[in-house]
Amino acid sequence: MTKQLPIEIFMPPNILKAKVGSATGAIDMAAIQRAELAMETLKTEFNDWVGADVERLGACRDRFAEKPDPETRDELFRLAHDLKGQATTFEYPMIARMAASLTRLFDGTKPTDTIPLSLVDAHIAAIRIVFRDKVRTATDRISIAVVEELEARVTDALLGNVLD
Amino acid sequence: MSGYRFDRLKILVVDDNQHMRKLVVTILQAFGAIQIFEAADGQRAWAMLREANPDVIFLDWQMDGMSGLDLVKMIRTSSQTPNPFVPIIMLTGHTHIDHVRQARDAGVNEFLAKPVSVRAIMSRLVAVIEHPRPYVRTKGYFGPCRRRRPMDEYRGPERRAATAEEPKEMAAT
Repeated sequence: MTKQLPIEIFMPPNILKAKVGSATGAIDMAAIQRAELAMETLKTEFNDWVGADVERLGACRDRFAEKPDPETRDELFRLAHDLKGQATTFEYPMIARMAASLTRLFDGTKPTDTIPLSLVDAHIAAIRIVFRDKVRTATDRISIAVVEELEARVTDALLGNVLD
Repeated sequence: MSGYRFDRLKILVVDDNQHMRKLVVTILQAFGAIQIFEAADGQRAWAMLREANPDVIFLDWQMDGMSGLDLVKMIRTSSQTPNPFVPIIMLTGHTHIDHVRQARDAGVNEFLAKPVSVRAIMSRLVAVIEHPRPYVRTKGYFGPCRRRRPMDEYRGPERRAATAEEPKEMAAT
């Protein structure tokens, strides 16, 4: 019979609580309001931030097209993943959704050399148009139609279906 | 008003995207934090961790080079770590339950799915201050207890079998 290693469970001192002082534990609404105000001020920069990331995405695409290897693939995935995570915060929810669709192509199930570049390009073109036209809602009909088509094509590609 | 003295905390923000770093730093400054350190990748974060010894870390998962998960494992288990107990709040665009499990199993304290919001960041900070979890050391894991349930709710030897999958512990809120 093998002897099991012990499981050690312990509670370290709560240094954080000691530092920040005793408080009610309730949400500090004044701090929330200050932060939301700071976010409002920051919003003037959001457009430039998204624009810079969209440009970087295009440049990553070019490097991937020229040399489709794990390095360029990871770079493209990371940038698409960043846009997926933050474009909604930066007021471009449709870009976030399109980028999410793009990341699915790079989820690791498809070999790098079988990722259809035409579908990558379709995503990037759609993202560029949403940014160019300043589509800042998640309810724009044309954008929804486009992203639904992109999502369906990605599903097809992941299933191994032949693309047009 | 809760009156937390966030100005007394040293906070490290690790994200390879400068825009996301600026957003998080701006929010933390508005909360009152003044000792904020930034790192754009895992290697620099590891160096800064040893220089500044932060009280809390906001950490992105997906980064070039060392990933956020790799950094968490180093912080928890390396013999060189300055503080294996430092609370880690993982910020990520990954939202699938498998990712929550991976983060939990690496030793993350709180999981914050992007898009981030002011309230979500505050709630995770309050969670690590007010509801710290006990730490667990086993043969294959060191880090915060992966169950949110308080230890005094132990209900006998069948507890683990009865509550087998609890990833929601970190996805909640």
